[in-house]
Amino acid sequence: MSALPGVPGHEGPAAEAIAKAFSIHADRVERDRAGNVRGWIEGTAPKPRPRALFAAHMDRIGFLVKAIEPGGFIRLTELGGFDSRTLLAKEVVIHSSPPIVGLFATKPPHLLKKGEADRVIPSEDLYIDTGRSERDVRRIVPIGTPVTLRQPPVDLLGGRLAAPAMDDRAGVAVLLGMLEILHLDRPEWDVVMVATVEEEFGLYCLGAKTATESIDPQLGVAIDVTHGDMPGVKEGDTYVLGSGPAICVGGNIHPLVFEGMKRSARALGLPYNVEGCPITSATDAMDIQIAREGVPTGVIGIPCRYMHTGIETVAPEDVDRCARVLAHFVAGLEPSWRAEEVLK
Amino acid sequence: MIAPPFDDALLGRLSEASGVSGGEDAVRRILIDDVRDHVDTLEIDALGSLVARISPAAPRSPRSKGSRRSRRGPHVLLCAHMDEVGLMVFAIEKDGRLRVRRVGGIDQRILVGQVFRVGASGLRGVLGALPPHLVSRPEREKVISIEDMYLDIGASTREEAERHVAVGDYACFDTAYEKWGSTRKGKAFDDRVGCTVLASLVKKRPPVPVTAVWSVQEEVGLRGAGAAARRANADVAIVLEGTASGEAPGASPGESAPLMGGGPALTVQDRTLMADARLVDLLERTGKERKIPTQWKRPGVGGTDAGRISLSGAGIPSAVVSVACRYIHAPAAYLDVRDPQRVTALVWHTLESLRKEWT
Repeated sequence: MSALPGVPGHEGPAAEAIAKAFSIHADRVERDRAGNVRGWIEGTAPKPRPRALFAAHMDRIGFLVKAIEPGGFIRLTELGGFDSRTLLAKEVVIHSSPPIVGLFATKPPHLLKKGEADRVIPSEDLYIDTGRSERDVRRIVPIGTPVTLRQPPVDLLGGRLAAPAMDDRAGVAVLLGMLEILHLDRPEWDVVMVATVEEEFGLYCLGAKTATESIDPQLGVAIDVTHGDMPGVKEGDTYVLGSGPAICVGGNIHPLVFEGMKRSARALGLPYNVEGCPITSATDAMDIQIAREGVPTGVIGIPCRYMHTGIETVAPEDVDRCARVLAHFVAGLEPSWRAEEVLK
Repeated sequence: MIAPPFDDALLGRLSEASGVSGGEDAVRRILIDDVRDHVDTLEIDALGSLVARISPAAPRSPRSKGSRRSRRGPHVLLCAHMDEVGLMVFAIEKDGRLRVRRVGGIDQRILVGQVFRVGASGLRGVLGALPPHLVSRPEREKVISIEDMYLDIGASTREEAERHVAVGDYACFDTAYEKWGSTRKGKAFDDRVGCTVLASLVKKRPPVPVTAVWSVQEEVGLRGAGAAARRANADVAIVLEGTASGEAPGASPGESAPLMGGGPALTVQDRTLMADARLVDLLERTGKERKIPTQWKRPGVGGTDAGRISLSGAGIPSAVVSVACRYIHAPAAYLDVRDPQRVTALVWHTLESLRKEWT
């Protein structure tokens, strides 16, 4: 899935592939008005059944073509947050038809002026060279064309995987893992897996918000990546790759959901971390929680190194554990489970 | 005689091979396989350079007049370097991370977020960078020093890493060779394109006696070529290079030159060499006669094996013919395949000119 395009607002091709993958185990797959892909597992309780929503965003950070300059050099505008220092000399795919390849051009050291190598190149000064003539570039690439980092997946030692868009295709892989478990081991609730659009747009999570509005779930969980252990970062800010998912606690998370996920991890004998989210979780959960009349919401994270680069690195066993914890949690819910209490 | 064709497929194989200065073995093996059946002698010299000798076919008429030299032409040294810039593992941390140093001239700013192939096994490693979420704004204004970088091969402990990697292992960029139109994309075009031109030339019996040198360690101070030249004792030398094009948005014509697709780039002068004026003149004239467009490499920039070769022994008149590549010394460079085709033809026809008129 790391090879699929899908900058915010341009998730089409990714959605098609994800819908196809969902349809292997889901009872019903649909693409909603906002562009989200939904895969349903029907519960065993008598109707009307409560609904649990699990969301992972299928959009990925990237760029749009802003201008084509003399010589055929391409200027970009960013979608999602990059550190411009990580972009130099990286290859990209320009999603024109046909898609073409380019790279963030850099001066060879032979031509650098004195002191130039000590300065950071701001993102607005970066440009793409496709190795094609200006005429070809103008013919093939309309302004507004999406652009993503191009990096085939890299297998590292210990089964670890480095690739772009692990944020949050790793989360979508969790949804697939849950479908695989739940179509055999049916919960009493209806469960809907939602691969959401436009989480990385920044202002709001359009996909999560609209899906929650129309599905009206009694429980929501966002699955996203969290920071993996890296040198130069304080302990507690990151989670060791392969040490299990990070179950979040904080204002964005309902305590019952937090406790329920922990209980499932313990029941399965799976390792997990607890991640404090003091203000916001910066995930789809932000908009799931406050949709409609409010939804009890949880957040679970897959440790991921080097986030928002082309080499986002995860331990696949964490993805698998995350799916098993969530499937166990939802399968254990009584049809009568509600977060709200009637006191009088 | 018709010039031999440039071997595009060989450039692909050489570009994808690892050959950081001092670790050129994989490149050398590909070249040995490629040229072995076409040359008279083939040896690896004391420093690791690959050296082939190939003489023209015996003159057809035994009644040919003149000295041996005027019949056969001068002995020409053709040289291209096998090595590329890259990294070396110099320490393995307790947590399995590899600390690295640069081999050759690399702008450290391009390293973060790149993928490398480490050691002879080609194990993949990624050069990690903190996510923007965890980097403060003022911190983002600072260049990340290679001292603070590390290669992540996925190992969790030093012991695990040491089962796969040793201190001293080289790491090269992990870049696929690709083509669209006449554009070629790949790593190490400096100087695998020169290596390929040279192999393409010796696959046809040349019009003059040739010593072909695929040299080692150019990128760490032109270390291999001088020794090979001393041993070859040639009359004249032409070095084949991939050189830096300066094309960029807003660059002046002077800054841009030489241009990718602009034809063979001839050197007048660089940091290591005043090119032999007669030889440069002959190259330019041969280009004009054969309708091969040539351009001038920007003077004063860079240095090549020709600097060492020209000083070897009693001195060898030397020149450099280059393919203008964009983004050399970076993970992926571009070239226009028509350029090495033209370089191959230009050098071939210049060998013919040398046979006729070099004294």
